[in-house]
Amino acid sequence: MPHQSAPSRRHFLATSAATTAAAVAAPYVITSKALGDATTPPASDRIVMGGIGLGNMGSGDQRAFLAHPHVQYVAVCDVREKWRNDAQQRVDEKHGAGACAAYVDFRELLGRDDIDAVHIATPDHWHALMTIAACRAGKDIYLQKPETLTLREGPLMIQAARRYGRVVSGGSQRVLEDYRQIVDPCWAGELGKITSIDIEPGPSSMACYLPALATPAGIDWDLWLGPAPWEPYNPGRCDGNYGAGGGSWRSYIDYSGGSLTDWGAHNFGGTIFAAGLLDLQPVKAVWHPASGDGKVAAHATLVYPNGVEVHCNRPKTLRPADPSATVTHERGITIRGDGNAVPPRAVPAYRGSGGIYGDFIECVKTRQRPFRDLEGAVNTMTAPHMLGLVRRLERSLEWDRAAQRFVNDEEANRLLDRARREPWIL
Amino acid sequence: MTSDRMPLDDEFKALAAFDWGADAAPLATIDAAVVACHGQESLTADLEQRFAAIVGGKASRAAKEYACRKLAMIGTAASVPTLAPLLADPVESHMARFALERIPAPAAGEALRQALGTARGDLAIGMISSLANRRDAASVPALAALLGGDPKTAAAAAAALGRIASPEAAKALAAATPPTDPVADAVIDARLACADALLAAGDRAAAKAIYQAVAAAIGDAPKTHRARAIRVAAKSGLLACLDGSVSP
Repeated sequence: MPHQSAPSRRHFLATSAATTAAAVAAPYVITSKALGDATTPPASDRIVMGGIGLGNMGSGDQRAFLAHPHVQYVAVCDVREKWRNDAQQRVDEKHGAGACAAYVDFRELLGRDDIDAVHIATPDHWHALMTIAACRAGKDIYLQKPETLTLREGPLMIQAARRYGRVVSGGSQRVLEDYRQIVDPCWAGELGKITSIDIEPGPSSMACYLPALATPAGIDWDLWLGPAPWEPYNPGRCDGNYGAGGGSWRSYIDYSGGSLTDWGAHNFGGTIFAAGLLDLQPVKAVWHPASGDGKVAAHATLVYPNGVEVHCNRPKTLRPADPSATVTHERGITIRGDGNAVPPRAVPAYRGSGGIYGDFIECVKTRQRPFRDLEGAVNTMTAPHMLGLVRRLERSLEWDRAAQRFVNDEEANRLLDRARREPWIL
Repeated sequence: MTSDRMPLDDEFKALAAFDWGADAAPLATIDAAVVACHGQESLTADLEQRFAAIVGGKASRAAKEYACRKLAMIGTAASVPTLAPLLADPVESHMARFALERIPAPAAGEALRQALGTARGDLAIGMISSLANRRDAASVPALAALLGGDPKTAAAAAAALGRIASPEAAKALAAATPPTDPVADAVIDARLACADALLAAGDRAAAKAIYQAVAAAIGDAPKTHRARAIRVAAKSGLLACLDGSVSP
């Protein structure tokens, strides 16, 4: 597992330099609580944080970091005035009026040298750009899932994180917290070698043709769109959060992979972690079209290099009778093993205290790789991204991980990434 | 399919009149046709021609954007003459790039390079972004020439040279003398990217020279997060040169 790997000399160097960085950074505003108390370290020992994207998930992340005793929260950024003001108010209530600056443009927040770390919870089309910019600025990053929008973004994000020695945690708390019923038996070795998996990923995102409406005050629409194609304002494009059938940015292909990658980050995340596939990427995505009589729905199979087959949306009529070495999860996951018990392994735990947020803060302080280190998160997201492409193209694809390209399918390779709207450049 | 033309006249008529908020059902039919035509050269060529006609005609912005998205998937050199003139149009430029960036034909790269020669401001940055994503080695001289100009454009050019990361790109960046941020910052990042690429390609000496130059420029007592991160990158690059490990 990436977070268990022995530290390299490169990593050690990054650790020592960046730990120094964290220790010398001073908070933007010192309040009456700056000296700390029995449960809170003095401000000079706290991680100075800011947040970018403070809507539904971002506000939850902010609350978690605000509550962490080792965090001094000093800045918020959102293109929506209300969310920006609400987020600023939450910090003021915690640290006192004037303790928190508010920005519309994330580049201004990243330009502040007193900030050690940021959390990012914008729509997905911003994730790669902001993460890479934050790495270059020397910040550590807690990045909401799904971490990537396209297959090409992941390696560029990892490259930036590793080059600059940054701690980057993905933001799927459910991977460890919601899937223990499949994680524990797999890691206990009870199932033996994992052979096949069934999973029920949600729908992909779709094109958006909503009508043009006047852009209201209180939102910087151009900055909301950012690198995505220009489209007219409509609240259905940018409001909401979880709707997969329209009326939410998560429904639309320019901003999200849909429920497939949103809940997929959790479902694939928990499954891939349980099955020990976190270091791998699928080598094939096999498309099974619907039967001519309509009795068998279309579905797909992701094949991993160790032979594990992950069947996605496979009709129950096609599934084998489950062997005794099987575990299931109520979110439609079945993991099967060969039944020949293998030695148990200890399930990694979060570091520090405070769940995945505490894990991130502890790793910022100690320079360890977090539980959902970016590399594992990118590997995980490769699965739903590949599934999305075979659904879209309705044909099987073969993936060359080293080249990060599909084999003998130029059209599929054209869908690895998208041209970003000027002036945004990766 | 026995004909060289899909029976989609009604759908393309609807596309020509399409605007945001209109019935998108005809577009879904066209979507399905694009997928169904995969591997059938004459049918795909016909579709490409129809999309190019939309892009080059009087259709709405929404319709042209839709057609550009499809040309991104199936476009060839045949679409380049239609797309290239739009690169200079502030409204259409991005979606023209949306298609051109992913058309593998050399003519697409040539169109982007030509447009870069005359574009200014954000439009120029758009061309630079697309040439970077194509890792267009032929654009290195043009990008190098931009390093001393407008700071935003110069920073984008530096980033593109870092993405291309060829020995020629590394040389151009080494010769740059950017006075201030954001260009200086972008040049350093791009130089590190070039060094990582050179090391991965086995040119340890060239990579080491860049890491050493960056480490020297940043000094032993960096004062900011950014400077410390650069020092980490340069020093760890030097270590990788010593032990031969490849940059991640």
